[in-house]
Amino acid sequence: MTAIADLSFAITEGEFVCILGASGCGKSTLLNMFAGFTQPTSGTVNLRGIPIIAIEPRCGMVFQSYALFPWKTVRHNVEFGLKMQGLGRGDRAAWAKKFIDMVKLGGFENHYPAELSGGMQQRVTLARILAADPEVLLMDEPFAALDAMTRQVMQEELLRIQAESRKTVLFITHSIDEALILSSRIIVLSARPGRVKAVIDNNLPTPRHVDIQLSPKYAALKTRIWDLVADEIRQHEG
Amino acid sequence: MPNRAPWLLAVSLLSVTAMLTLWSVATNRGWVAPIFFPSPQAVWKEAVVILGNGQLFTDVWMSSRRVFAGFFLAGVVAVPLGIVMGVWAPAKAVMDPFVSLLRPLPSITWIPLTMLWLGIGEEQKIAIVFMGSWIYILLYTVESTKRVDPLLIRAARNLGAGDIAVMREVVLPGALPGIIAGLKVTLAISWSCVLSAEMIAAQNGLGALIWQAKDFGNLALVLVGMVCISLTVLVTDLLANRLEILLLPWERHRRP
Repeated sequence: MTAIADLSFAITEGEFVCILGASGCGKSTLLNMFAGFTQPTSGTVNLRGIPIIAIEPRCGMVFQSYALFPWKTVRHNVEFGLKMQGLGRGDRAAWAKKFIDMVKLGGFENHYPAELSGGMQQRVTLARILAADPEVLLMDEPFAALDAMTRQVMQEELLRIQAESRKTVLFITHSIDEALILSSRIIVLSARPGRVKAVIDNNLPTPRHVDIQLSPKYAALKTRIWDLVADEIRQHEG
Repeated sequence: MPNRAPWLLAVSLLSVTAMLTLWSVATNRGWVAPIFFPSPQAVWKEAVVILGNGQLFTDVWMSSRRVFAGFFLAGVVAVPLGIVMGVWAPAKAVMDPFVSLLRPLPSITWIPLTMLWLGIGEEQKIAIVFMGSWIYILLYTVESTKRVDPLLIRAARNLGAGDIAVMREVVLPGALPGIIAGLKVTLAISWSCVLSAEMIAAQNGLGALIWQAKDFGNLALVLVGMVCISLTVLVTDLLANRLEILLLPWERHRRP
């Protein structure tokens, strides 16, 4: 079964790209190829011009279901990537602390993931991947499992963190609002097999807060994207 | 297990007292002939005797030693083998037919062969425990190793972990709760193995105690032996639970 076809786009360093599409359009497949978890049956995925052919630690993945190690405390989860990079115990602790503070989890260092709320677990995942310092952040609907309020807080956090770290982010979502709040560019995918339906520059002013949703410009962009998506859903069902 | 309400504890105590009273009345009034079921007083008398002359301690100690030697050896062999089978399909393919053949055999079926090979000394008892235990430890280990969440392995590799790091940091701790659960179940099985081995041929141990008491027609002593087996296995289980809490700190949120 072909999940995605004829798909081609390039992402520049420091960009925040949202990939938007209905469920089943191959968004996750796409992200898994960026991480090197799966290989495309044809074509290539390149990082700085070199094809990704194995699991690629330079593309750090933030999973929707957190994927924290249940047997490690918050601190040891965040330190994991650093440990793999061969950093000594002292350096690891200091470096990890920086990111635990960044996601505002100071005081929870010695908790196990199961003892935290969903939003806190997602922040640990974020700290873990940021501490490992990958070049690209791949985020697979990371906030989908969170309640609406926590999601908003997390979106603002992510914007702040991205502004600080200048990381390239590839963010998958099926929420138009989420894409508009977060991204600098939105790639709309068509239904299965996923193709690039449209690439939309999101020139809403930064830094953004949730209240941007009230601006007329936001409404205009949202209508435009909604038309694209709705068109796709109608075609697919008709 | 959630803390039980005090009144439920009282109900449990009451039911035990009622049972003991019924037992005492039924045997002392002659409703049940002593040759079929001895009175609690007779059982208590026997218990005091073998506690006093130290025989009970020797028997508990000998049985425990055999159980732990056989169980320990089984764990040392089966846990590493199970992990290899869990992560490497060819190893599982090699072992599967033998596991399927050996698994249905109760440990007592090994008594003739082990007696031939090892005589009737300690080694033979330990071998019976080993044969009865290792397969279960192996099966639990294979299952729990295979069930380690592949997403966590992906996440680890994505964070730069190689094969050895994935084993050490993800597969082993991920499989550990299942392996420990398997060891706990198997420990009770090990106990039943040693008892049957001791009933067939042994000078001491709780199994031998029961069997010799039966030969002398001393039913009270048989009951003492049975109660002691229960208590010893219960104590082992309690110790195993303490050890589990130490080894699995991340499951502390599930405990009261």
